[in-house]
Amino acid sequence: MTAKRLRQLGLGAVLGCAAASPLAAKDIVWARYGDIDTLDPHRATSTLSLQVWSLIYDTLLATDAAGAPVPNLATSWEVSEDGLDYTFHLADGVMCHDGTPLDANDVKYTVDRAFDADNPSVTQASWGPITSAEVVDPLTVKLTLSSPFVAMVPFLADSFSSILCDSNAEQEGFGTTVAIGSGPWKLDSWTKGDRIVLEKNPDYVNHGKLAENPGAPYMDRLIVTTVPEPQTRLAGLKTGAIQIAEPPLDDVPALQESGELNIVIAENTGQNVFWEFALHRAPFDDERVREAVARATDVDTALMLIYGDLSIPEQCPISRGVFGNDQDFCAGHRAQYDPEKAKALLAEAGGWGPDNPLEVNMLVWTGGKRDRLAEVFQAQLAEVGIKANIQMMDIGTMNARVRQENETPEGIGSMDMMTWSWYDPDILYALWHSPGAYRGYTSPELDAMLEKTRVLADPAERKGAVEDVMAYLLDKSIHVPLYTPGWEWVFAVRPEVEGFHVAPFVYPIFNDVKF
Amino acid sequence: MADIARTAPPETRRKARPLWLRILRNPGGAIGAALVLALVLSALSAPWLAPFDPTKMAAGRPLTAPGAAHLLGTDELGRDVLSRILFGARLTLQIGAIAVGISLVLGLVTGLSAAHFGGWPERILMRATDVLFSFTETLIALAFVAVLGPSLTNAMVAVGVAAVPFYARTAYATALGEVAKPYYEGAIAAGAGHMRLILRHLLPNVLPTMIVVATLGLSNAILAAAALGFLGLGAQPPQPEWGYMLSAGRDFMNRAPWLMLYPGLAIALTVFAFNILGDALREALDPRSEGR
Amino acid sequence: MLSYLSKRLAMGLATILIATVAVTLLIHLVPGDPVQIMYAQSQGTTPEQLEEIRARLGLDQPIIVQYVQYLGRLLQGDMGVTIRGQQPVADLLMARLPNTLLLAFSAMAIAVAIGLPAGFWAAYKRGTWVDSAVMMTAIAGVSIPHFWLGLVLMFWFAVDLGWLPVAGGGPLALVLPAMTLGLSNAAIVARMTRSSMIDVMEQDFVRTANAKGLPKAVVQSRHVLRSGLIPVVTMMGLQFTYMMGGAIVVENIFAWNGIGRLAIEAIFQRDYPVIQGFILVFATTVVVVMFLLDLVYALLDPRIRRS
Repeated sequence: MTAKRLRQLGLGAVLGCAAASPLAAKDIVWARYGDIDTLDPHRATSTLSLQVWSLIYDTLLATDAAGAPVPNLATSWEVSEDGLDYTFHLADGVMCHDGTPLDANDVKYTVDRAFDADNPSVTQASWGPITSAEVVDPLTVKLTLSSPFVAMVPFLADSFSSILCDSNAEQEGFGTTVAIGSGPWKLDSWTKGDRIVLEKNPDYVNHGKLAENPGAPYMDRLIVTTVPEPQTRLAGLKTGAIQIAEPPLDDVPALQESGELNIVIAENTGQNVFWEFALHRAPFDDERVREAVARATDVDTALMLIYGDLSIPEQCPISRGVFGNDQDFCAGHRAQYDPEKAKALLAEAGGWGPDNPLEVNMLVWTGGKRDRLAEVFQAQLAEVGIKANIQMMDIGTMNARVRQENETPEGIGSMDMMTWSWYDPDILYALWHSPGAYRGYTSPELDAMLEKTRVLADPAERKGAVEDVMAYLLDKSIHVPLYTPGWEWVFAVRPEVEGFHVAPFVYPIFNDVKF
Repeated sequence: MADIARTAPPETRRKARPLWLRILRNPGGAIGAALVLALVLSALSAPWLAPFDPTKMAAGRPLTAPGAAHLLGTDELGRDVLSRILFGARLTLQIGAIAVGISLVLGLVTGLSAAHFGGWPERILMRATDVLFSFTETLIALAFVAVLGPSLTNAMVAVGVAAVPFYARTAYATALGEVAKPYYEGAIAAGAGHMRLILRHLLPNVLPTMIVVATLGLSNAILAAAALGFLGLGAQPPQPEWGYMLSAGRDFMNRAPWLMLYPGLAIALTVFAFNILGDALREALDPRSEGR
Repeated sequence: MLSYLSKRLAMGLATILIATVAVTLLIHLVPGDPVQIMYAQSQGTTPEQLEEIRARLGLDQPIIVQYVQYLGRLLQGDMGVTIRGQQPVADLLMARLPNTLLLAFSAMAIAVAIGLPAGFWAAYKRGTWVDSAVMMTAIAGVSIPHFWLGLVLMFWFAVDLGWLPVAGGGPLALVLPAMTLGLSNAAIVARMTRSSMIDVMEQDFVRTANAKGLPKAVVQSRHVLRSGLIPVVTMMGLQFTYMMGGAIVVENIFAWNGIGRLAIEAIFQRDYPVIQGFILVFATTVVVVMFLLDLVYALLDPRIRRS
């Protein structure tokens, strides 16, 4: 249980179903491109799922607008000197959706469930090296760790750590038809592929979520529907059948100009898209070849072509809004676009060039127009003498495949356009500390540097340690950052809707919405 | 995917007039042959005919409408649509030929063996064919792609294998007539080699029918592979496969309708050409079916 | 009649049984390990834990044992849980099957409503320009890919004219997908009807009726239509399989919430329990509908009824 867990972007080229039935006046309809995987926060990792969990469940901590952890269900907490005991004091009077009080037993139930030996949470490792959860008194719970782990605090602010009410244990169908939490919205029903109907939780008291409304949401119901076709979502927005949705990318400039709909672009999404390579075998065991890829990739032009100004290039292995991100620092270490240099490097490394191209596989996951982006990168790489075969696959498949490539000693070179999203630089530990999330590059010196980022509690010291890690990864072109995707989380909002905003790490907040 | 009604052509008869003349005298046959010829020629000469490299980005401004510079416009990456369609013709013919080749070979082996050997091999082979038949081509092709993963090669194999039951049935039904003839039984009794009998007597007799089936089958295979490409389960970028182009173009339905218009038209014309050519071929081989 | 039906029934059951064998083998043929895919996103799992999960799923057993276990669970209506989100597969498929059936049958109704009169008319006017026009349209109709037709219809009726919803649920949203699928197949029905009618027209009893000087319309409706329809009705089963196959694509164009959309999603996500379930449900549906049509046919056709 050393490694950490991260969040990945939502489903791939998922096609969902639209909402078209008449709705009561006090409903908000939010249309998305895909559906959740489950209502059980221990069984999935997609952003689409997380967003819905954050409506139904509450978390011990929450984040402020900059992404830093703040109190929520836990009004305060203490850490022991050795960093191994965390004691949380819970707010009084919080009620679960079934009318039972939310107390330390529910927290213990949640933690124990995540660590259940028979069926552990798929995000078990993200919780950190927790050895026990102990109920001190009804409003006090103590988590004991086997080693210090500073990234646990930001984790407890994320919906991966949603607090489940222990009454779920007695219910049939938890995760499918039942989901008892203490969040602002209660589950009414879920029709997979179609819609999730949520009702407002009248007893809700906001302790720390990024909302101005201190109590229950203003609206009666929130309908989260799946509408895969962007043009359909736009049509629904225009007729008023939908209040909030991602618009078609190509129509955003026109919408912004006309003012017909308001456009909200999620900031601090924490998402990072990057090149990584099968480093144990040729040709990517050669630093020069990796650098050539980095130098052949013209990120600015490619993004402009595919996403317009809705995605921004990223220089760091951890994205904007995450602790330690520093564009100037990273730009000094990341190999920048320079096709001539790339050609020279390839020629030097193996005599490759446009006339004698180096053939490699490029793994890309479906959705988000990444297939189109990959085609642009493919053309750019071809110009310097790399023939990249694009292989499209679902993210789950790609995760397995990347690991498989890293464990295979032979075969043609493999590189992939990976995406991770996380709220803390601890993501780098998960990816690159041995054995590595994908069994990829590791080294004892990098391990030592990464270990420091986990235990240094002083922010300035920790920042220094994070920078050391980033410099190491960038100098060797191990993790070549490309961009921070924005467009999948552009929201078009009908003009009469007030109070909609998006918290860091793309959690939309509906507590303040009214119209 | 694209299932087309298939009517097995009745048994063939020889006539004095050469086959090609009989086909060309039929207006449908003439049009079909001309279209197929044009398709093959443009596929072969795509490197010279195409004004641009089909995968070259920014050959023109992205999403340029059809006009003098780009006859069929450009896509969202600035690639020339005409060039992509011309090169796509190569892929399409390749897909059709390989898929039909697979169906034809496996179908003939199964059908002719069943007819020749009779007895339990016949029962097993034809029962298996019946079962596969009721799985439907779509399901077989999808199952294949699900196992092998999406790629152009896998799509060709999937489409080819999925159609085998139909080819096997037709070959079997046609060959039965020959097997029933007295000389055939006599030859078996006289100890003639199995291979020899199948290759010398059965194959030539079923071939005309199977050529008609294969011509019509080409249109079916092309449609099915394009459907897989459309779903993202066939050709992978940047291959200018028509089905995939069509599916990528739908995002720009409002701003650039030509992106979904021309690849669709190309598929429809190709399939149409093989359909009418196949019909003409059938009529030429079997005058009784004229006008059916 | 009974022997005919029992043969058909045995055939159908064999098909379903072979489908169960096929889906059990399927998961062993795929490159990669489903357990690894399931936990690919979880960094904390050790090889021992993966082994444990494999054991829990029965994947460490010999394949025969796995098959028997799978069959046992199937009989209890258990098709396993999805890899993504661990939802019961049977529930997912059953919730969506009615949507697919609704689409397939609506499309079939459209195909018959257009194709039957058109084919009959062409046969009636055999050799005239009407015949040529209908047949040319039919060949063109067979040649147009339904995924293209779907997009064109969508562009026209939903985006351009705004008359119909582009996608979704409800009766209005059914119109475009059903039209797409129905129009493609109307061409096939028209061709079949025409050739079947012409066969009948050439038969002696029709010639006799004509020679007796009965009005052409009477002959056509009384004799030709009735006899000519029998082969058309028998082709309905095949038509239905086309509809089910076509529905997979059309559902994906119009975001119709049926099993076809679920299947394509699952193929992309490598969610093998869903793919297995889909194949079984699809094959079973086709078998059941074909059998029901056989039953109807046996009741209608005197030759079978008597046998």
